[in-house]
Amino acid sequence: MKRLLILACLAALPMLAAPQQFQLNLDSVAAKSSEHVDVSLNKATLQFAAKFLDADDADDAKVKKLIEGIEGIYVRHYKFKAAGTWTQADLEPVRTQLQGPGWSKIVGATSSEDGGSTEVWLHIAGAKNIGVAILAAEANSVTVVNIAGDIDLESLAKLGGHFGVPKVKPGDKPKKEE
Amino acid sequence: MDWLEDELRKALAREDPPEGFAERVLARSARERSGGARRWLAAAAMVVVAAGAAGAWREHQGYQAKQEMMLALRLASAPIDRVQSEIRGISQ
Repeated sequence: MKRLLILACLAALPMLAAPQQFQLNLDSVAAKSSEHVDVSLNKATLQFAAKFLDADDADDAKVKKLIEGIEGIYVRHYKFKAAGTWTQADLEPVRTQLQGPGWSKIVGATSSEDGGSTEVWLHIAGAKNIGVAILAAEANSVTVVNIAGDIDLESLAKLGGHFGVPKVKPGDKPKKEE
Repeated sequence: MDWLEDELRKALAREDPPEGFAERVLARSARERSGGARRWLAAAAMVVVAAGAAGAWREHQGYQAKQEMMLALRLASAPIDRVQSEIRGISQ
């Protein structure tokens, strides 16, 4: 019996260290949105895309390094014509999955001015980060990101200001997307 | 055995080909040669075009994948950058 238990634990180890991907079941949000962006890139596609990065370009080189440990990026971004179209309940299917073992919320920020909120969740196995979840919600938009694999969040944040991403200065109010 | 010799002689007797036979044979051979070359050229051209199209399609797919990757990273980085900036703003 003890042997069986040890074997079961050993068999479960790779699953624990496996890149953490969750279901982006946001059909109710999608149904209410006026436009949405849906990006799902697995490791093979990321590696293929990386071949088209310019090694001589500093930004491209940063991206190449950043995606080295990533097994997949899955993004859902929804925009709404009017505020209040979506509710927190619409995000429950994702939040429920993040309540599962291994996931922990490292940042939760809510703006008292516009009610926008951002949550960053990590799935850590041992000393390794194997999954990231980002939930960014504003009155007129919702963004849910799942990065499976190891990614350096500091480097990811530094991509802000590149590729047309406006760099937010400390003290700036988060801008609402039109 | 005379009748046999006679028959053989008749059968193996040298006979001139019909009028224009050599020209017709040469013309047909040339036609077939040039037709074959044309077919090979067409096949080679098709292979080159197909390879070029496949390369262009692959490149198009690659740039599309790159654009999607950049978009995904952009959408992922924006909230993290914003949170970091807010935290920095609070701590200052």
